[in-house]
Amino acid sequence: MSSLQGYVDRKVLLVLQDGRAIVGTLAGFDQKSNIVLADSKERVYSVEDGVEEIPLGLYLVKGEMICLVGELDEEIDKSVDLATVRAEPIPPIRYG
Amino acid sequence: MLPLSLLTAAQNKPMLVELKNGETLNGHLVNCDNFMNITLREVYQTNPDGDRFWKLKECYIRGSTIKYLRVPDVLLDTVKEEQNRARDVGRNSRGGHIGGRGGPRARGTRGGPMRGGRGRGRGA
Repeated sequence: MSSLQGYVDRKVLLVLQDGRAIVGTLAGFDQKSNIVLADSKERVYSVEDGVEEIPLGLYLVKGEMICLVGELDEEIDKSVDLATVRAEPIPPIRYG
Repeated sequence: MLPLSLLTAAQNKPMLVELKNGETLNGHLVNCDNFMNITLREVYQTNPDGDRFWKLKECYIRGSTIKYLRVPDVLLDTVKEEQNRARDVGRNSRGGHIGGRGGPRARGTRGGPMRGGRGRGRGA
């Protein structure tokens, strides 16, 4: 069975159902995929301006809200200048 | 670290709860359960648009309506410290029982020279 154990203490990107993208260090998780994210920052993407990074601190996210947990390659992430990134924000999930 | 352990450790601490409908509630955690149902006190409730506010003395939030919770950063270090302390207490108490039979180095050295002395004394 796959589990998030491999991601613990790594930097990850969380994509939530409302379209938010949050990066942080995965401090813990449980069977329902509830997640503890430390030093988290929300990244707000925009087509006109660069990425806005909002520091959020210690986050407990409910598993139901999570679409995706991705391991972030810290070296590649450091080399990216967020001010130059232009992207459409991810829309929230719509069911049905 | 389990999310629910972090939450239980956050009792009496201030936190921000965002609900699935976008409302936010700022307050101090009174209690929580395995479903993540929580009770808060001294709560400031804000509507999704951020233009209406309510002050509530106490409120109960059903866990299934919660999107996420934001808690003070220091809580992570506090909980890790407590987990380490609890683990160390377990280790020390178990080490004490085993020490009675096998003997850690400290007790061995205290016994060694004495035994050697007595032996030499008898030999001489």
